[in-house]
Amino acid sequence: MELFINILGAIVTFLVAFIVGMTYGGLNRKITARVQNRKGPPFYQNFIDAFKLSSKETAIHHGIMHYLGPAFLMVSSVMTLLIVPVFTNNGWFPNLNFKGDLIFLIYIMTFGPLGMALGSGQTGNPNAAIGVTRGLSQMVGFEIPWVMALIALMIQYHTTSIEGLMEAQAQTGTWFMFSSPFAFIAAILAMFGMFRYSPFDIVSAPTELASGPASENGGKYLFVMMSSGSVFTFAKLTLYVDLFLGGAANLPVLLLKTFALYLIPILYGMTTPRYRTEQAIRWFWGWPSFFGLLAIIQAVIL
Amino acid sequence: MATLYLIFIIFLGGAILTYYAGKLGSVLQDIIFLATILGATSLFYAGVHINDFMSFNPGGITLTWGINYFGWLFSLIVLGLGSLAAVYSVGYMKGKKRRGYFYFNFILSIMAMLGILVSQDLISFFIFWEIMTWSSYLMVIYNGKDDQKLGLKYFIFSAIGAYAMLMAIVMVHSVTNTFLIGNMIEAYPQMSLSWQIWIPILFLTAFGVKAAMMPLHVWAPGAYSSSPMAYTSVFSGALSKMGIYGMVIILVTMISHLPQGIWFRETLAWLGGLTAALGTLWAIKQDDAKKLLAYSSIAQLGYIITGVAIGTELGLLAGLFLAVMHALFKGTLFMVVGAIEKQTGTTNFTEVTGLIRKMPWTFFSALLAIIALAGIPPLGGFVGKWMLYEALITSNHYLLVILIFFASTAAFLYCYKFLFGFFMGQEEKEWEHVKEAPATMVVPMVLMALFMAVLGSWPGIILNPINNGLVDLGFVSTYKHLWDTSILFNSWGNQVVLKPLLYSVVAIFVFFAIVLIWKGFKGTRYVSTKDISSSGEVPGENENLTFSLGFAQPFLRAVGPVMKRQIDRYYTEFADGLESFFEFLRRIYTGNGQTYAIYVFVFVVIVLLFKDVLF
Repeated sequence: MELFINILGAIVTFLVAFIVGMTYGGLNRKITARVQNRKGPPFYQNFIDAFKLSSKETAIHHGIMHYLGPAFLMVSSVMTLLIVPVFTNNGWFPNLNFKGDLIFLIYIMTFGPLGMALGSGQTGNPNAAIGVTRGLSQMVGFEIPWVMALIALMIQYHTTSIEGLMEAQAQTGTWFMFSSPFAFIAAILAMFGMFRYSPFDIVSAPTELASGPASENGGKYLFVMMSSGSVFTFAKLTLYVDLFLGGAANLPVLLLKTFALYLIPILYGMTTPRYRTEQAIRWFWGWPSFFGLLAIIQAVIL
Repeated sequence: MATLYLIFIIFLGGAILTYYAGKLGSVLQDIIFLATILGATSLFYAGVHINDFMSFNPGGITLTWGINYFGWLFSLIVLGLGSLAAVYSVGYMKGKKRRGYFYFNFILSIMAMLGILVSQDLISFFIFWEIMTWSSYLMVIYNGKDDQKLGLKYFIFSAIGAYAMLMAIVMVHSVTNTFLIGNMIEAYPQMSLSWQIWIPILFLTAFGVKAAMMPLHVWAPGAYSSSPMAYTSVFSGALSKMGIYGMVIILVTMISHLPQGIWFRETLAWLGGLTAALGTLWAIKQDDAKKLLAYSSIAQLGYIITGVAIGTELGLLAGLFLAVMHALFKGTLFMVVGAIEKQTGTTNFTEVTGLIRKMPWTFFSALLAIIALAGIPPLGGFVGKWMLYEALITSNHYLLVILIFFASTAAFLYCYKFLFGFFMGQEEKEWEHVKEAPATMVVPMVLMALFMAVLGSWPGIILNPINNGLVDLGFVSTYKHLWDTSILFNSWGNQVVLKPLLYSVVAIFVFFAIVLIWKGFKGTRYVSTKDISSSGEVPGENENLTFSLGFAQPFLRAVGPVMKRQIDRYYTEFADGLESFFEFLRRIYTGNGQTYAIYVFVFVVIVLLFKDVLF
């Protein structure tokens, strides 16, 4: 019975994440269009695209790794989603919240991109491999401020679990966004790299790499990749809300907080053209890491 | 207890027999070789009791042999990896020359490593240490030539380490009057402070050389890449662990008694961290798989040294667990490179591509080994990495943990380079004929890969022996009860429950794999790697789409300033300086009788001229 509820919880969480993530993606397209003074597609366009892709028949494959690449990607998104608590006080299915901590989360988040990288590697498309190396390089860049921010929180509150950090916020009554401002800034700046919107869209780089790792995928492969991306977006935003904005008690609050956070990378990207890879890496090792260092110093002193 | 003698007699006799059996036939040679290694291994685990010591007195010096739990843990690495590598060697050495030479040194290396583990006195420890160095040196110069002086470099550094150790042994003897390791440890707290500092430094120099710790690592890339791959898997997997073995003993039993020990620990931990970071960067740069793995070994040993050096419970567990994992995955990866070298004749990423469909089993073991190396769950590497991070965070090493994080994130780049370079990418006509490696080579690799996967969710298999070993060294354990349930704990009480995580990963993966394969893997048609959309155009038959040159170039540009200086160059400059100094000396000592006659003449003239002043 307990197992059944767990599985049910995982499925419901997944569906919510899928719908929210897809809608956010559609809103992103809409907002981008309005900023560029276009009309843009309706906000539910992503659902139409997903439906179309999933109903397409697949005719070719490049071998077993290519076939399974999107499944690797999905493992990482869904696992991230299941580890991150959706609401405070487990007002939602707890899923795997108590089974893993932040270090596990950081590592499971890299599982998917690497699996996907193998899948797109097997297609033999050089653009895919170039995109992957760019993506991994960028990851080395943004992981530094991101980890610095997390470690600052960990050492200040002597816990490495997400629930522990949420409880600490509930007890003190202040969000970490205000009590650990430097960690928040570092984490938000690292978020630009994590979401890979402009100016850090060097992986897909539409004009140079013809969408990079995704280039040989269509139909069902692309559908799975797209849903994985949506779920991952939701999971990452929820993680940020849990860590820095005190979590959310119900769905409207969660949507409000996540969407507010989501606007940061979108709106920043609209005003900035794409960086080159080494510029992007060095950008993350500049001010974001400086703020991360400040966060650690603050955590050690307090 | 006579079993222990018997094992060493088997090793020695087997080595000599194998060497000469080559004249009678190669199959017989293979059989004797395998029988020696496997026979001695099974005899060791069947007949040798733990903590059962024996002593003998050659020439008035008491020597003691026997194995404790800590040595037993490392014997798993040495004999386990040694046996699998031995099976692999039979396939690898098929049709190669100097097989007798290879087998002889292989057996001697395994024997020497086991000897180090059973030595309870410094004399036999030193002797086995030297046998290990010699046999591995002979393997480095397996090709007969030492053009780039790689073997020489290895030997010089090993000699520096050995002299340091010898000096420490003499110092210890002058105080304690015995050579027993136990007596040394007991006498250590009463020694004067300067000796308390010098003895560990000298020992750690010796162990640091073998563990390829910065700045003593420069021999490793050359030595690892120039010895035969079947041996390098042992060289990097097991032989380097002997340095770790010694280091742990020195750190746990001696330095923990020293109030100033914290400086040792911090220095070592930071050296380990720097080794990890710089080793990773240099690994990314390499285009030869052997060199890449060699630098990666240096980097991985850096993690191990860091974990061992911070010396908290979780740190030691992490270091030793990573040591076992490193033996497994680096052993496997060097075997993979050996298999590819045997089947294609080259190990360069810029030459070989697209082997995945030709060597699927090799790819499978390489994939699992790489996942373990990268520390990605649910494989065993993650357990070690997790414990290392938590140990660093909970023991207030905030900056060091970021350095380690940087190193292990950057490691993804060379991990991907390894897999992509050999197995992915364009399939080229040149490699169409390539077949899977023979079974004797594939089976050990796959076995090790599967063992890594098991360790990811049942780490208790290795953590329990590690616990016993640490208790043997005088360390108290607290987490032991949790390992049978596969839960990892840090000292703040945070946990990772491995089994449910594994089941979830597998369930999600299987579900989406079915979604993707639904209506058929069979229904879709395989298309070659030339049949792709490159910028909307179908590439022509002879268009070169292979991407292997300048891999990760943007990343290397970003970290360029760090990699400008190389310690190797300073050593080389120092050696060149010495060489020119000796060149100058040779102008004086010409070896020519007439020159010496002039010297004598000049000397006499000077004496005669200045005799009033001088005398």
